[in-house]
Formats: sequence, structure tokens, C-alpha cells
Amino acid sequence: MSRKLHTSIAASLLVLAVSATAAQAQTTVTFWHSFNNANGRALDEIVANFEAVHPEINIEAEYVGNYNDIVARLQAAIPANRGPDAVILEVTRYGLFADAGVLADLTPYFDADPLKDELYDYARQIGVIGEKNFIVPFNSSTPVLYYNKDVLARAGIEGEPDLKTFDAITTAARSVNETLGAEGITGIAAPGQFARWGLVMANGSDLIDPMSGEILLDDPKTLEAYEWMASLVTEGLASADGVTEEDNGRDAFLAGKVGIMMNSTGNYVGSRSALGDKLGVLPMPCNPDCAVPIGGAGIGIMATSQQDVQDAAYEFVSYAASPEANAIWFAATGYLPINKNSAELPVAADALASQPGIDVAINSLPHAHGRARTPVVTWMRTTEYDMWQAMALGQRPVAETMTQFAADTRAEAARLGN
Amino acid sequence: MKLKDKGLSALAIAAGIVFLSPVLYSIWMSFQTAQSYYTGGFEPTLGNYATAIGQYNFARYLFNSLLVSGLVTIAGLAVATTAAFAFARFDFKGRDLLFGLVVATLMIPSHITLIPNYLTLARAGLLDTYAGLVLPAISNGFAAFFLRQYIRGIPKALDEAAYMDGATPLQVLWRVIVPISRPAIFSMGLYIFLGEWNNYIWPLVAVGKQDLYTLQLGLARLYSINPGEGLIDWPLVMAASTITILPVLFGFFLVERHLVRGITMGAVK
Amino acid sequence: MFDQAVGDVHCRFPVEAMSPKLTPYLLVAPLLAFIAVFTYIPIFTSIDLSFRSWNFMSPDMPFVGLDNYARLLGSQSFWNSMSVTTIFAVVSVPLRLALALAIASYLKREAASSRVLRGALFLPTITSTVSIAVVFSWVFSTDYGLANAFLSALGLGKMPWLQDPTLALLVLILINTWKQLGYDVIIYIAGLQAVPQELYDAAAIDGGKRWQVFRRVTVPLIMPTTYFLLVVSVIEAFQVFTIINVMTRGGPAGATDMLVHLLYRTGFVLFDIGTGSALAVILFALLIVLALLKSRIVGSKVHYEA
Repeated sequence: MSRKLHTSIAASLLVLAVSATAAQAQTTVTFWHSFNNANGRALDEIVANFEAVHPEINIEAEYVGNYNDIVARLQAAIPANRGPDAVILEVTRYGLFADAGVLADLTPYFDADPLKDELYDYARQIGVIGEKNFIVPFNSSTPVLYYNKDVLARAGIEGEPDLKTFDAITTAARSVNETLGAEGITGIAAPGQFARWGLVMANGSDLIDPMSGEILLDDPKTLEAYEWMASLVTEGLASADGVTEEDNGRDAFLAGKVGIMMNSTGNYVGSRSALGDKLGVLPMPCNPDCAVPIGGAGIGIMATSQQDVQDAAYEFVSYAASPEANAIWFAATGYLPINKNSAELPVAADALASQPGIDVAINSLPHAHGRARTPVVTWMRTTEYDMWQAMALGQRPVAETMTQFAADTRAEAARLGN
Repeated sequence: MKLKDKGLSALAIAAGIVFLSPVLYSIWMSFQTAQSYYTGGFEPTLGNYATAIGQYNFARYLFNSLLVSGLVTIAGLAVATTAAFAFARFDFKGRDLLFGLVVATLMIPSHITLIPNYLTLARAGLLDTYAGLVLPAISNGFAAFFLRQYIRGIPKALDEAAYMDGATPLQVLWRVIVPISRPAIFSMGLYIFLGEWNNYIWPLVAVGKQDLYTLQLGLARLYSINPGEGLIDWPLVMAASTITILPVLFGFFLVERHLVRGITMGAVK
Repeated sequence: MFDQAVGDVHCRFPVEAMSPKLTPYLLVAPLLAFIAVFTYIPIFTSIDLSFRSWNFMSPDMPFVGLDNYARLLGSQSFWNSMSVTTIFAVVSVPLRLALALAIASYLKREAASSRVLRGALFLPTITSTVSIAVVFSWVFSTDYGLANAFLSALGLGKMPWLQDPTLALLVLILINTWKQLGYDVIIYIAGLQAVPQELYDAAAIDGGKRWQVFRRVTVPLIMPTTYFLLVVSVIEAFQVFTIINVMTRGGPAGATDMLVHLLYRTGFVLFDIGTGSALAVILFALLIVLALLKSRIVGSKVHYEA
């Protein structure tokens, strides 16, 4: 072997060794999240920006699936101790993990962080259970009512439609079905779980009382809301496609095959890029209450991660809620601004000016409410999908189903000890 | 060949194609663009395969499937063959009871052990590892049973001659029994390999890390995340599906006879 | 090269060093160890867990007696799952067996055409179930699927195959039949080929028509194979999981929530480990009964060994 070759091998080994040391000095934070497609790309940008500012921290972000998938994978990971360091958790479903001591108490970090005063109250409070702060908000949302102007116009509904009550929505959806049904266009997308919860609140009730923890699944007003929602499907105004798979309803709306969709404001940018100027956005109905749930998720840190990793993870969590990150996120997705200073940044200001309707969710904040986040909520939400399918597909009557569901949820809450 | 036979063959091929048409069509679809699929044209492309491999990591999943199924097959055959040899050739206390325990596993579906095995591997720190995928699949009561039956059919005189020459039991196994049992071992190898290749529920619970996904998991996930914004990108999903079935299809044409023999004998278990 | 390797093993492997009495035990030890750890001990763990309350997270697993069994047997989802599984078995098993016997009687001849068809029928048996589920999800998707394209070519309307509870179960039964048919056919062919040709000749001499020969000779003589396939396919029906998990996740409205899928859901979606284990124990008991039935049939030597 020639001397020259020897030298070059030695040199490359040296380079390898040096880069290995550099890599060792970095703290790696594994981060599970629920964003793909356009929202995923916005998150990637935020992670890249963070890593540029913090070269000593490496964020290993992994798209796990939707909120349910994350909850399931996290819970399965506990006995194996193979969880991530940081994880996106939906605002009603982290109580289970906080309660079990799986999530680190972020209160000491948060109290020392100037971010605490920059966050809007509505956003800050979603991470608190009792006196402790378990997640820091990242993507906050309320449901809004999207409609396809083109579809509604062709069904004879010109201008800004009146969709303020359940009856008004039914009427509009029926006109769409009657005029455009032959083309395979349906009036409304079957409401997803977030919208269903919102509609129950708009009807003056809730699923679980956020203050007392009382289970309201069999409250007459809850039943009334479910009766109406199920009627959308049973009367054919909404396709059953969206009942078996929530995303199907959204995808059909994006494809221009549906007149009305009630869904998270986090779908704003995706809908706008799919439908362009045909997209209209209105607040959720008030039937009669104008009340919308605050949804979305925050980032929690695992109590089992090492201290230095937790520190690094918090750096990221804090950055992700900073004005710079939040402005990018808001503009790219339509999720609510959570930081008081984000709206002033050019990227957010541009979005507000150029994207009509992106502010509908912001304007509905005055009557937005936090929801229960007791440990039983996770179970309740997982089970609600099955109950909804049974009712919407006409397999079981609403009153019977919800009464049984309420009883089961109470039993489960008792088992969990809350 | 008589004309009538030719006609029948053509008819048989046609019937076979109709029967397999969903799968054949899915392979065909995997070579067209999503655009042309939805607009009704046909625009040939290899792009779906490039996306499946480049963006969705299917080359890695293919490697994982080959590795896991290969290891399970080798280890499974090794423990099944040695045990079968002992059960067939040695007279020892408790033999019938132990053999009964092996055969009884045929009646115990793996689903029942799902939660406990998950906990065992979790405690051993073996979830999200290749070992976690391989270890629970190694014992195969059917292979042990089948090979024992086969070995019992081999004349004992052959072993005895080898022992006369001073061979040890392991040497007898390796030099006499294994060469003669090669067709049976091969059939069982295929049987184990296919079973593991298509295994789904265990990898589903045992693996969270995408780097360790097998093809089955990768495909199920690709389908469930609904690739393509808005309309599902069926041609891409079908390319992934084709990657998942093609190795088995190739193998099938090579070894159909062995497979059928293994399965038919299985019916006599 | 292999001999070399064995030589190495020979030097280190303790088999020969010990008393010859130990040899068979050492030979069976690896297999038995795997079986013990991954099959037998888990059965006892399942029974133990079925009397406890645990969700993977709490540090302790309190003993709750028969609570889990009571909750399971009192739940709508368990009985729904039992009935869905039973319907699946009752519809799919006779369908499979009747189709398979008819096809096998035709394909038992050793002709090129029957070899081709046997190959085609057999292919789905060894094809990945996930792939099959994905392909058929497309076939039965409402807007762009093959099935509805076929219907509209006939001038019929679209069917919501996987959104309608009754249709969805039917679709899964059809897919399962499609996948398993090849196996049944091959077993039937082996059984049919074992029927002595003289019996057919005798029946033919008596002037029996084809259908009568089939009904009077083939069907009774093939009964042992039919029993065998019956039990095997019923057991299989009790274990269907993959197509459900990929295609319907038990929906719509629980219409395809068969037992193993309910087990998976209870354990790994709802994380009710106690109730999931109770279900595993019940499923185990059910399958043992079926398996004993099978071994009685096979044990009584009524099956033809080819």
C-alpha cells in the first residue's frame, strides 16, 4: 500500500473521529408529532430554524400518525421504556399521562421562561392541570365552518350563506344534495370528533364538564346535538365515507365534492390551497350558544428522559411557541396564533392580509372554552368513535347509545379513580 | 397436445387471470402516474417505485423483511430439526409428554400470547429490535412435528451404520439425517419463511421505530396515512404493495411443488 | 464448508461430552425453551393478568377478581364481536368448502390446464394479507374502485361497500374466501386423489350419471377431508385480524369487529390489559374446544393419508 494512501486513510479516520466527537457533544431529543403534508413541512422548517440557533441540540422528529396514534404508541411504550423525549399531545388527552407521572412537570421551566407572559391566556391555560404545567401549547385551534362558495352558489345559495343554526345548515346541505347530488356532490361532510364536540357545546352542553368533571354524555342537550349530527348522515346529506374515516370527509371537501365542512382551523391553509377563492370560512353555528372548544396540542416532555435531554427538549418546546416559530406556523397552517407577538411579524401579518378567513378562528376566541382533560377523557374519546359510527350509520338509536356510553364512561372514570 | 386440451388450457389461463385480476391490475396500476390514474389515461412511470423506496423507505423495509424472515427460518429449522431428531430416534423418559407439549402448540393461536409476549420483551428491553421480532417466532411446533414424522420414515440402519463408524449423535444428524431429509426441511423452510414474511400482528405491536418496519407494517402504514394530499395516491400504494408481494411471487414460481407438498402433508397433521 | 462448521460445533457443543442419557434432552432443549417462554408461560401470565386491573402505566396491578370477566360478558362489544365472528364463520365456511370441492373435482385431473388453474388459485394463499387488504380496499372503495366501476358499467348505482355494516362484513368474507380457496382446493384434490379409482369405475359401470357419482360416491368418501377443512376454517375464522385491521378497523359501527380484533383493540388501543387478557383466556378456551374437535377427527384416522 502506498504511503499516500496510508496518509489519506489516516486523514479520513481523523475526520471521522472529530466528527464523531462533535456528534457526541450534541444532545439528541427525539420528538413524536402528528403533522404530515403541508403542516409537516412547516414543522420541519421550525425544527431546522431551531437547530440553526442551537447547533448543540439535534431534534429527531418523527411523524407518528394522528393524535390517537400518538396516544396509543406512547401508552404502549411505557412498559418498554421506549418513549420519545418530547411528544405532541392533544389538549384533552394528556391528563392520563400527567396523572400517571409519565410527563415531566414543566412548571419550573415555564415559570422561569419569559414565554409565559407572551402567551395568550387561552393558550397558556390548556397546559395546566391543577397547579402544574404539563404541556406547552404549540398548535391551538378552534373548529370553524368551511364552505365551498362555488358549490353553494350552484345550489342557489348566493353571497354569504346563513349557516348560524343547525336548521339553517340542514336546509343549505339539502339544497346542495337536491341540485348537485347527481354529480356526486354532497351537502356536508360528516363532522369529525372535534367538530362534534364543538356542536355539542354550541347546543349548550358539553361531553364532560371541564370544571366539575361531571359526565354530560347523556345530557338532553348532548343527545339533541347527536340526534342532529346523526341525521345529517342518515338523511344522506353527509356521506358515510366520512363516518368510517374522518379524513375522507375532509378529503372530499378538498376535492370540491362537498358543500360544507366543520373542522379545525388547522385545515385552513390546506383547504385554501386546494380550493383557492372558492373557500369561504364562517364561525361555527350558535344553536343558540356561541361556544367553541379550544383544540390542538402542546408539547410535553417525558419524565424518564435524562435531565440534560429534558433541558434541551424544553429549549425546543419554548422555541416552538416563540413569536418567530409561531408566526411561521400560523401562516403555513391556519392554526391560531398562541404568542401575542407573532401577529406583528411580517410573515403572520402577510397571511392575515392575504388569506381571507384565516382570522375567523381568531375572532371566535372570545367564546372559546377549554375542555376537560381528566384521565378518562382519553378512553372516552377513543370509544366515542365507535358510538358515533353506530348512531350515524343508523345501527343504534342515539338516546340508547349515549345513555349506555355515559354509564360506561362513569364506570371507567371510577376505575381510573377520578 | 390435442386441440381440446389446448382450448382447455387457454380457458384455464383466462380463468386464472380473472381470478387474480385485482392483484394483476394493482401491479399494472403501480406503473402509472397518479395524475393519469385519476384522469383515466395511462402514462407509464417508475416514479411510484422511486417514491416508495426514496421517500417511504421501502428498500429498508424489504431488507428488514428478508433479514427477519431469514433469521426466523434458519433458527426455526435448526431447533425444529434437532428436536425432531431426538423425538424420532431416542427413547427417553418423558418423551411422549414433551412431544405432546410441542404438538399442542399447534392448537394455541399466537394471538392469545400477544399481551404477555409484549410484556416479556418489554422487560427484556427487546422491543424495537430485530431480536424482538425474531425470538417469539422461532419455535414452530408444526415443523418439529412434520420433521419427526419424516425422520421416522428413514431406515434406522443408516444411523446405526454411522454409529458403528464411531459417529456422535450430532454427526449422525448432520451427515445422515439432514441430507436425506433435505426435501422435508426445504418444504418446512418455505413454510416458515412465508409465514414470517406475511406476519403482521406481532410486528405491529413489537415495533414502533420505522427503521425496523417490515414490509407488511410499512405497507399498512403507507396506506393508513393516506399519501397524496386530498385524493389517495393509489398508484404509489400499489407500487408499495407490489414490492411487498413480488419476492413471494418469484419464489412461488420456483418452488410451487414443494409448497404444495408441505401444505398437503400439513393436512394430515 | 458446512462440515467444517459442524466440526467446530462438535468441539464446543456439550452433547457428546455428557452421558448419552442426556443427549436427547439437550437436543430438544432449545425448542422447548422457546415454547416455554413464548407459548406456555404466557398462557399463565394471561390468566393472571385477567384477574388484575392495569393500563400499562400504573405502577401496581391490583387484583380485581372476576371484574374483568364480568365487564367483558356484560359489554355490548363482546357479544357484538361474538356474533360477528359467528356470522363470519357460518357464512364463509360452507361457501369456501362448496366452492373448493366443486373446483377440486374438476381440477384433480393431471392436465396442464388444471395445473395452471391450481397455481392461480393457490397464489393468494401465500400472498401477503396486508397487500391483499390494500388491493381490495381499492377494489371496494366507493368512488374509484373496480367493484363500483363494474356496477356502473352494468348501469347500476354505486354501492358503499365498506361503509355499510352488512356489506362490509360480506366483503371481508368474500376476500377471505378468495384468499383461502386455493388451500381448500389443494387439500380436496389430495383427498380426491386418494379415493380409489375402482369405486368410480364401479359407479360408472352401474350407469351412474356424473352428478349422481359425485353425490353418491365422491361426497361421502371425501367426508373426512370435509370435516378436517371445516374445523380448520372455523378455527381460522376465529383468528381473522389482518384484513380487518387494514381495511375496516372493526367498523363500520363494529360490524367487522371480530374477536382477535377486539382483543387487539382492548389491549393495544384502549390499554385495558385486564379485560384484554380475560378475552384472550375466553378465546383460548373456545379454540381449545375447536382444536380438540379437530384432533378427535384426525385422531380417528378418517382422513386419507395421500
